Amino acid sequence: MTAAVAAHPRTTTTPLDAFSYDDDIVRKFLVACVAWGAIGMLVGVLIALQLADPMFNLGLPFTSFGRLRPLHTNAVIFAFGGNAFFCGCYYSTQRLVKARMFSDALSKIHFWGWQAIILAAALTLPFGFTQAKEYAELEWPIDIAIAVIWVVFAVNFIGTLIKRRERHLYVALWFYLASIITVAILHIFNNLSIPAGALKSYSVYAGVQDAFMQWWYGHNAVAFFLTTPFLGLMYYFMPKAAEGPVFSYRLSILHFWSLVFMYIWAGPHHLHYTSLPEWAGSLGMVFSVMLWAPSWGGMINGLLTLRGGWHKVVNDPILKFFVIGITAYGMSTFEGPMLSIKSVNALAHYSDWIIAHVHTGALGWNGFITFGMIYWLLPRLFQAPLYSKTLAELHFWIGTFGIILYVVAIYSAGVTQGLMWRAFDETGRLMYPDFIETVVRLLPMYWVRVVGGSLYVVGVLMMAWNIFKTWKARPATYDVPVIHAAPLEKRWKEPVVPAPVGEGIIGRIRAMRYHRKWEAMPVTFTVLVTIAVAVASLFEIIPTFLIKSNVPTIASIKPYTPLELYGRDMYIREGCFNCHSQQIRPLRYETERYGEYSKPGESVYEHPFLWGSKRNGPDLAREGGKYPNLWHVTHFNKPRDIVTGSIMPAYPSFATNTIDWDVLPKRIVAMAMLGVPYGEAITNAIPMAKAQAASVAADIARNGGPTSLQDREIVAMVAYIQRLGRDITLASAAPAAAMRITTPRQAPAQVARTAP
Amino acid sequence: MSLTDLMSGAGLSGYAVVALVIFFATFLALTAWIYWPTHRRSYSDAARIPLDDSPTTCPPEAP
Repeated sequence: MTAAVAAHPRTTTTPLDAFSYDDDIVRKFLVACVAWGAIGMLVGVLIALQLADPMFNLGLPFTSFGRLRPLHTNAVIFAFGGNAFFCGCYYSTQRLVKARMFSDALSKIHFWGWQAIILAAALTLPFGFTQAKEYAELEWPIDIAIAVIWVVFAVNFIGTLIKRRERHLYVALWFYLASIITVAILHIFNNLSIPAGALKSYSVYAGVQDAFMQWWYGHNAVAFFLTTPFLGLMYYFMPKAAEGPVFSYRLSILHFWSLVFMYIWAGPHHLHYTSLPEWAGSLGMVFSVMLWAPSWGGMINGLLTLRGGWHKVVNDPILKFFVIGITAYGMSTFEGPMLSIKSVNALAHYSDWIIAHVHTGALGWNGFITFGMIYWLLPRLFQAPLYSKTLAELHFWIGTFGIILYVVAIYSAGVTQGLMWRAFDETGRLMYPDFIETVVRLLPMYWVRVVGGSLYVVGVLMMAWNIFKTWKARPATYDVPVIHAAPLEKRWKEPVVPAPVGEGIIGRIRAMRYHRKWEAMPVTFTVLVTIAVAVASLFEIIPTFLIKSNVPTIASIKPYTPLELYGRDMYIREGCFNCHSQQIRPLRYETERYGEYSKPGESVYEHPFLWGSKRNGPDLAREGGKYPNLWHVTHFNKPRDIVTGSIMPAYPSFATNTIDWDVLPKRIVAMAMLGVPYGEAITNAIPMAKAQAASVAADIARNGGPTSLQDREIVAMVAYIQRLGRDITLASAAPAAAMRITTPRQAPAQVARTAP
Repeated sequence: MSLTDLMSGAGLSGYAVVALVIFFATFLALTAWIYWPTHRRSYSDAARIPLDDSPTTCPPEAP
């Protein structure tokens, strides 16, 4: 019996409840975590290969980088990370509150519902069904399913807290609770969209506002899906593995509240130097820098839990995984605030530096905490000794070596890339004006990443084998221990500590022990966390949405024509935004390379925004008119025929796929519902699109290109690319040119665009 | 007059900075609260909750 129990000797009058824990659900989540994790990481290796050599795109639309990259991120975040969180949460919550989960049925619905969602993601993303928002790519029916299943989880979790037999809610439970609440808020508000088909929708936000909402979500998805849940796991499993209490419980409380108060503000640091208002970026930066303190407080708290027990690390692979995992948390949470500082961000943004940063956290922190937890759980869940401790040790070392190879190579690539983009020669011109020069220089580092990532996956497969063999040695039927614990007395009150004499009002406030009371009131606690998160969000969201000066309008900016909209939807379908940004920063080396910097008013009809976050290829914000139509046709068909050394996948299918004209009216109507002034196009979308397609196809044929492309997807894509950034340049070049910009009320013949 | 006009006229873009100060002050107050010496005992008990794996757990004494 532990000290906690000894501190509260049993009263003879209280009968004990008899119950058992539901470990079957924990086993299910564990297996799902490992299975999906292996698949997601293998897809990661494949897309790493694709960046090293484009032949690994395999020439198929559904295996191209743009479509597989979101599959990788969704699989490792929501399938691997999600199932890991649920596995540890279900195991630890029951034991921390001395109660079985609120409802076995809800647990099962949660498990099977979540796996069905993952399957739906795996079946839709490779086929190009995406909302084009990072980590929120899944289309609206799946989003609704996620919301429903998340509510099921929330009800099950909060219901378990309510029927608990341990009065105090341990700090790990706070982290779980904050994660559940905040993820629900983020998911619902970022995914608000208008359906334009069974698996097609447009974000209700546009341009600057959409970018703000996306990175409010994106950053906090990292915070509340990959950080707080895993901190909860750390605060439970680290003391268990170290066989001692957490170093400082007070520090853990401080860690919790400071993350809840500060993390939610930090999203705008993903949008430095973009069209986002400067004040929002600065605010995000300040809060990000403030996050240094609690994050490192948490790391120190985790590591010092091993105080007096460091010698155990030598022979214990579980502790090894935890120590490196927590260290990786410290490293990535040091680097995150550093990257939020504008001058650092100017170098790192859009480069591989961010990819290295993410993978330090993902492979080190999320991966290793999960592996440590799984190895700790295995003998307890399968009631058999771990099959091979040696294999677990080997997993640790091979995984660690894989991480080092990965991040060293990609940090090098990121810094190289950032420096090459901004290098000027002695005459004041860009030293590397061709973007491809900055790509081919990175290829050796991309190959090292393939090796590092592969080693990491080999480690995971070793673990899967260890799990399988341990499971094989399980007993015929699992022993289900009966637990006895007394129910909480409903009329119990926190003992009143008398105010120390002479301390006046401060003494009385201290004696009331507010926080201690909240900790025992799950519903109140939930409300407090919700208020903290919601209020902080609104402080940033309301001004961004409601102050006109944040998004000055530009008269010459017009909506895309129906054909261009179709091309834009193809751009989304193919995931082009995964490699190309459409946002030129007001930095000299950007404007020299790409042209006039991007203005907030240029994106007012962009549902969703397509600013991107990574440049494996050049920015496209001012791509319109740079090259002839035929250049694009040839380039999409075989990029390497045009740009030697290009790593872009080939899209020969654009020239063979026919345009689905029938989807256009629905899409135009959906856009019009969002306030895009489409006018005549609402009723006349198809003829307008066909007229423009005929014009583009005629230009391609006239210049010696293929004929009869007027009903092929390639003309829509070319029309879209040729439109990018031209509203402003045409308007400023000549008023007459501005007159040619498509307006909804122009006749179809006028909509046809001339070749640049 | 729309809500946007109202918000734009109020010049509220600076109020996020006020919020920053409020949030930071709340954080400092919470820190002071948590580290107040009289709470040491209860936190020490709470820290040991994960280590209690005994199949029988007894209720606390009535106050």
